[in-house]
Amino acid sequence: MKITLIRITFFLALFLIWYLVVAITQIPSYILPGPLDVFESFYIGFIKGNYLISIFYSMIRVLTGYFMALGIGIVTGILLARYYFLDITFGRSILSLQSIPSVAWVPLALLWFGISDNAVIFIIILEAVLPTALSTKNAMKNIPSNLIKAAQTLGSRGLHLYKNVIIKAMIPELVTGLRLSWAFAWRALIAGELFVSGAGIGQTLELGRALADMSQVIAMITTIGIIGYFTENVFFGIIEKRVRIAWGVE
Amino acid sequence: MLEPKIKFENVVKNFKTSSGDNHILGNLSFDIFAEEFVCVLGPSGCGKSTILSLIAGLLKPSSGKVIFNSKLVERPDSSRTLVFQEYALFPWLNILDNVAFGLTTKNHGKEKPQKKAMEYLNLVGLSEYKNYPVNQVSGGMRQRVALARALAVEPEVLLLDEPFGALDQQTRENMQNELLRLWMKTKKTVIFVTHSVDEALKLADRILVIGGKPGKLLFDATVAVSRPRDLKDSHLINIRNQILDNLTHPDFFMGSDI
Ligand SMILES: Nc1ncnc2c1ncn2[C@@H]1O[C@H](COP(=O)(O)OP(=O)(O)OP(=O)(O)O)[C@@H](O)[C@H]1O
Ligand SMILES: [Mg+2]
Repeated sequence: MKITLIRITFFLALFLIWYLVVAITQIPSYILPGPLDVFESFYIGFIKGNYLISIFYSMIRVLTGYFMALGIGIVTGILLARYYFLDITFGRSILSLQSIPSVAWVPLALLWFGISDNAVIFIIILEAVLPTALSTKNAMKNIPSNLIKAAQTLGSRGLHLYKNVIIKAMIPELVTGLRLSWAFAWRALIAGELFVSGAGIGQTLELGRALADMSQVIAMITTIGIIGYFTENVFFGIIEKRVRIAWGVE
Repeated sequence: MLEPKIKFENVVKNFKTSSGDNHILGNLSFDIFAEEFVCVLGPSGCGKSTILSLIAGLLKPSSGKVIFNSKLVERPDSSRTLVFQEYALFPWLNILDNVAFGLTTKNHGKEKPQKKAMEYLNLVGLSEYKNYPVNQVSGGMRQRVALARALAVEPEVLLLDEPFGALDQQTRENMQNELLRLWMKTKKTVIFVTHSVDEALKLADRILVIGGKPGKLLFDATVAVSRPRDLKDSHLINIRNQILDNLTHPDFFMGSDI
């Protein structure tokens, strides 16, 4: 309660300072708009404009890429954990891919897929597959071996063993990996959208720049931050916590 | 002539490590008969857990034969279940579902897993806790759940790897009595690994003493004393001395606190 109050006061003060700075220094609004301009841009953008549609298309894109990345990443991770040979060869090379930021893939994606959704989805998959695969691999390697041995002597093997023990035992660590992959996917989405046409958050942001509409630019940056925060921290945070409790990790 | 339930024939087990072969078991031979309660006793690292894994089918011998019911052991199955010191319960399942686990595999598809699991939970006196998460009950209770889980699939052989090693002394004594009661009731063949001489003397029909590097059978003691046993019984003291004579390993745990 007290913390909430402090937070509200803090943000109000921040807006006030922002307002005063813009009002006093008379900075042109295409460089730094005041808070009211940005609120107006939000209001008009959501009620009459295309902000909701942009968010909708961006979500479709990112979810498509994300779920494809999960499928590919989980299978890859399991293979890397199971086959030592794959890990020391393929596993090593994908590790080095992880240090490449998503924008670096944009030129390649545009040449392969054109300025289309597919280019964006491709970048998202590239970015999200790696953390998924790595966390899957680690989750699998960290399964206590006695759990598997106990299950095997109880008659579990093959699909039953995978479904009821291996996957289940991996879940807490996997969820943490999925959260990380989501964070990567979200960033890759915006990076990709800046360069392609169509409806989307990144496109709207880029359009704001082209029209020198700094209010729209800031409105979109805020939107990216808010959605990112709620999905990464609130949504995944709750899931992670629940899983940890159900698995007795906490 | 009675066929042994389990037969080790010149079993050798080596593990490959980066610094070459690690010889764990050297030419081990013994027979275990149906319904026997056998304790495997020996110092840390002599290969006791390895012996259980070989019987369970989790490991294959480097040479020699591990035979169960006159057939070579190929792979693990529910006729030989294993109980660990660290319980190895599934933390995402509640107590009842842990006990029912083995019954959900296809060998047991026809019966109702939960109903049968409930019988075994009753047997270890934990039916009231059926819906509890496993990490919310005491160590002794967890080990009862692990026992019930291992018994519910109706194995012929129960393999126990230092099952009570993590429990306090009072709980450990209760669990020893509980295990004897379950064994007399269900008449399984029990192979119980321990590094405590007194625990072995208290429980076993027969004690196999393993030691040396690589591990060999040092001594095979038959304990023909009726239960419940008093460790001050002269016959038991006699066996105890013979076992200790056979174990010259310096860091051997004497287990006199049992
Ligand atoms: N999978 C494995 N790979 C390599 N070495 C192994 C493996 N399993 C066991 N060992 C080695 O074999 C030796 C015997 O192991 P084992 O677990 O059978 O001993 P133990 O008698 O059960 O010991 P403890 O009383 O400590 O449980 C140990 O030195 C161990 O390091
Ligand atoms: Mg051991």
